[in-house]
Amino acid sequence: MNLIEVRNINKYFYQPTKMQVLTDVSLDIEKGHFVSITGKSGSGKSTLLYLLSTMDTASEGSIRINGEEMQGKRNRWLADFRNHHIGFVFQFHYLLPEFSVLRNVMLPALKLARYAPEEIEHRAMDLLKLLGVDVQASKRASLLSGGQQQRVAIARALINEPLIIMGDEPTGNLDSQNAAIVFDLFRQLSSERGQTILTVTHDDDFAQRSDKVIHLVDGKIAN
Amino acid sequence: MKIFTNIKLAATIAFTHMRARLKQTVIATAGVTFGITVFIFMVSFIQGSNDFVQAVAFEQSPHLRLYNEIQTASSNVLDRAQPGTINMVSHVKPKDILLSLKDGPQIVQALQQDPRVAAVSGSVSSQVFYRLGSSSINGTINGIRFEQENALFNLQAKLVDGSFRELSTLPNSIVVGVGLAKRLNVKTGDHLEVTTEKGNNFSVKVVGIFKTGLTDIDKQQSYASLNTVQRFLEVPVSYITDIKIKLHDMELAPAMSKELQAKYSFHGSDWKQDNSALLEGDALRKMIVYGVAVTILLVAGFGIFNILTMMIYEKMKDIAILKAMGFSDADIRWIFLIQALIIGITGALMGLVFGFLAAYGISKMPYKSDVMITLDHLPVSFSAVYYVTGFTFGILTTTLAGYLPSRKAAGVDPITILRG
Repeated sequence: MNLIEVRNINKYFYQPTKMQVLTDVSLDIEKGHFVSITGKSGSGKSTLLYLLSTMDTASEGSIRINGEEMQGKRNRWLADFRNHHIGFVFQFHYLLPEFSVLRNVMLPALKLARYAPEEIEHRAMDLLKLLGVDVQASKRASLLSGGQQQRVAIARALINEPLIIMGDEPTGNLDSQNAAIVFDLFRQLSSERGQTILTVTHDDDFAQRSDKVIHLVDGKIAN
Repeated sequence: MKIFTNIKLAATIAFTHMRARLKQTVIATAGVTFGITVFIFMVSFIQGSNDFVQAVAFEQSPHLRLYNEIQTASSNVLDRAQPGTINMVSHVKPKDILLSLKDGPQIVQALQQDPRVAAVSGSVSSQVFYRLGSSSINGTINGIRFEQENALFNLQAKLVDGSFRELSTLPNSIVVGVGLAKRLNVKTGDHLEVTTEKGNNFSVKVVGIFKTGLTDIDKQQSYASLNTVQRFLEVPVSYITDIKIKLHDMELAPAMSKELQAKYSFHGSDWKQDNSALLEGDALRKMIVYGVAVTILLVAGFGIFNILTMMIYEKMKDIAILKAMGFSDADIRWIFLIQALIIGITGALMGLVFGFLAAYGISKMPYKSDVMITLDHLPVSFSAVYYVTGFTFGILTTTLAGYLPSRKAAGVDPITILRG
């Protein structure tokens, strides 16, 4: 079953001059796969990821996620969709520095409000335990090391049991040891939980070990 | 319900932001507090003084007054004799009219029956010279029926020495203003001479001294009984020159003045006309207070605007990540708007409390004045209207100051920030 279906995407940048970033991109991603998007800088891989993330809406073509067309939807609807179905892990961790680790993980779930706050706290603790950072739960997010922060970010991405986890170079800012830990976590989530994972990466080693690689050259898929 | 939980979540995020920037938040709140405090304090004090001055002035001026005035003739005698021709008469003299009100006593009786009227007094007033030894002072003598006049002006309360009662029992007795008594160097029991416009001299006895607090009146006015003044002026007992009226509802005065002028063809004036300069002054002072308060609140508003704008620049990453998590533009707007609202509401409430305390403080301050004899403390108004106005002002300014940055925050494009 295809979780993501992309058909004939064209994307332009208008600053400083009009430039085509993605040309006629079509792809399918199956549920439970661990997919990497690779390519040189400027090949359009991040642009593709952010189009799939529903945060960027200005493109031609069709993007269907879980059977729903993303094009032409309103901001509020898309925000709600992200909240339900997409978890993000970024290169620069991006935790909210004033909040505690536990609170950071809880936020997307509090927004979703599917469960009561006590239940959410319980689930967040379980995830922190799974990722081995439960000891840090009550600390302020800004006090953690890079590797720990990235693991908290993954816990936050998982809290709403999303269809897809999207990563923008999730290991790009980590040392090799932490990068290996994060990669193993993704691998584990994909194989054990059937979690669909889509990451942009520079790391060839990382890409080689994923289920599928989408390689972009100058805004086109090269296979 | 979803909206409610969204706002509640936005509020907890707003609280966390504010706790992290406690110092800035406190300073912004203090700005609003200061603005509202100054507004409440100033408006209470100025309104209190206005009310007091008005009360003093209005106590001396009736709500409505009917009188006659010397007028220029509207047409000359030639025009009436030979209409249709061109007549030139230069330097027409004023019409010789009696200053008395025709059928005055009957009209006073009729007005007493009017349900709108609280009290009415007919009196005679005339220019006279007060003489004692070599000094001769120009002034006004009022012939009154004490009971009627007292009902209008509460004369009894203004008496500092002697009594008004003797006016009706003792012929040729007068009660003089305190300033006049000082200038003539007389006290209760002394005699002085009164010279009328026609040149008649009368010896009168001072039976009392009054003080209204209005220097102009105290320096030149005296009261005598109606009969006494009528006798001085050699006029019949039906001769009265002024009808003064106190109404139950003073706002009716201008309309009723028109009605009575048309009915009796006298001149009339009401308290609004008589005190127009005073009322105008009140309005101007109030405008100044509002001007100052708005200025202070604008400065406080800019403070909030700055703090939130700076916070939004600092928090760009947080906003982007919240949007990625699934917070909508509206949720982000709430986070920053709630911060402005909390600062605004807290600041405004504290401003009301401090403003009240400051106003209450000065209302207890002793204050003696030679001019305003009935004043022993600074006059302060505690009207609730100003508290409501001040609160509304505060909330409006802070909401506006918070709305603009919060809209900016909602418009942040998460991709440009997340891509680095």
